[in-house]
Amino acid sequence: MRRTIVIAKNTFKETIRDRIMYGILVFSFLFLFSITVIGSLSLGEDLFIIRSFGLAGIYLFGLIITIFLGASLIYKEVEFKTIYIILSKPVKDSEVILGKFFGLLASIIALIGSMGLIYLLVVWFNGGGFDYRAMLAMVLQVFEFSIIISVLILFSTFSTPIASTIYTIVVVYCGHLLSLMFNYVASAGDFQKYLLLGAYYLFPNLEKFNIRNLVVHGFGITQSEFLLTAGYATIYTSLVLCLAHLIFRKKEF
Amino acid sequence: MIKVVNVSKNYGEQRAVNNLSLGIEKGSIFGFLGPNGAGKTTTIKMLTGINSPDQGKVEIDGWSPELSSVREKIGFKPEEPHFYEYLTGLEFIKFAGNLFERSYQKKESDYLGVMESAGLYGVRDKIIKHYSKGMRQRLGFAQAIINDPEYIFLDEPLEGLDPIGRRELKNMIERLKSQNKTIFFNSHILSDIEILCDQIGIIHKWKLVYSGSVLDFCRGEDLEKRFIEEIEKIEGSHSVA
Ligand SMILES: Nc1ncnc2c1ncn2[C@@H]1O[C@H](COP(=O)(O)OP(=O)(O)OP(=O)(O)O)[C@@H](O)[C@H]1O
Ligand SMILES: [Mg+2]
Repeated sequence: MRRTIVIAKNTFKETIRDRIMYGILVFSFLFLFSITVIGSLSLGEDLFIIRSFGLAGIYLFGLIITIFLGASLIYKEVEFKTIYIILSKPVKDSEVILGKFFGLLASIIALIGSMGLIYLLVVWFNGGGFDYRAMLAMVLQVFEFSIIISVLILFSTFSTPIASTIYTIVVVYCGHLLSLMFNYVASAGDFQKYLLLGAYYLFPNLEKFNIRNLVVHGFGITQSEFLLTAGYATIYTSLVLCLAHLIFRKKEF
Repeated sequence: MIKVVNVSKNYGEQRAVNNLSLGIEKGSIFGFLGPNGAGKTTTIKMLTGINSPDQGKVEIDGWSPELSSVREKIGFKPEEPHFYEYLTGLEFIKFAGNLFERSYQKKESDYLGVMESAGLYGVRDKIIKHYSKGMRQRLGFAQAIINDPEYIFLDEPLEGLDPIGRRELKNMIERLKSQNKTIFFNSHILSDIEILCDQIGIIHKWKLVYSGSVLDFCRGEDLEKRFIEEIEKIEGSHSVA
């Protein structure tokens, strides 16, 4: 446990200082400030525009950086051989995986947190008051990203960053279309039905975490819905990390 | 005591170590030499628990280095050490120290002391990205002794150091020996091996061809000359056969 935290802290420092992080941060801040302008172009709908663009922007910027940093997380350790230094010390394979996971998650939380802060300020300055529901949307986004990070770690135990990036984009894309796919199950033939059902249970159902539309229209979700979604993310993330650990343990260096 | 018993290791089809056996007494300095690709690094990786042998066994004080309790008392400097580029040297050393039960309570002053003795005090707050090759070697050495290990494995520790750095490192190795540490290192700089080591092992084409005292091997000549002689003798007998 202690060593997991040591590795997580180290990963946090390493990822938060990555130059790409500053780039995205500056870019997202510029974006968040500029949506005020976009908002003012629309007649009377400015707050609605600001909020939907703002939340979508936070999601997109977060996703880009998560995939960018996560795709090389384990691969880099092996390729640049920093893993030799770690594995020759009394560290277990599972502590490496968990430490990397929590370290990157912490970085991403810090990033989403700072974008969220700017967002709240922008909404407030535009007369929207304190947008507490948006915070809930961001918390769910963090849960979604925990799944995405675990998937990235899994892929990066056995493939190059480019391949991991592509696989993960596919997973994220399918993950968001799942509910849509499910609608076709009833009308599909036998074979397609099993294929669709298989995909439905295999891919993470990421649309569950998207309450941005509800939030901009002034709705929220119930406490039990929230707990269910958070529980789903935790279980899915744990399973994927277990799988990543199995592959990592078998690896030759 | 370090024991290697009939160890073989392949990477897929590629042989890396073939039926290797070694015994190294506690408190000695052991030099491991052999041509490029002979299997030296592969052997060290098995001795430090990074990889496991396909056949045979490696033991440190009677236990496998794959047990984390055994790795508590091991230090390892990889061949071309790579680090987290965005950390400072001092941060990295603390990270390394914190991974050991026996050193995670070290104080700031202890870490500064280690940086000092590795000759990195002046650059301790620089990020590693901006370290020179020699500085990286020094940092690699510093992190290998951070847990005050009984067994120290150094993969080409003298590579890339300036003459002063080499002398400092050799002094450091001597000092560690006087503290009854066991040091296993490989190097292509045979004059240094000759001065430092009590025992040597020579590996060629993944097989051990000599293990014993330096004096017995050299028979009054210098190590480099004898080494080349031996290797060429084996190569010659191979090509005849
Ligand atoms: N990760 C790996 N995957 C595949 N083959 C490997 C790997 N590591 C080493 N080898 C092969 O195993 C053999 C032994 O390599 P090793 O690194 O142990 O040599 P070495 O004695 O340390 O050489 P050098 O003096 O050049 O450092 C070589 O033929 C090498 O190509
Ligand atoms: Mg080598």
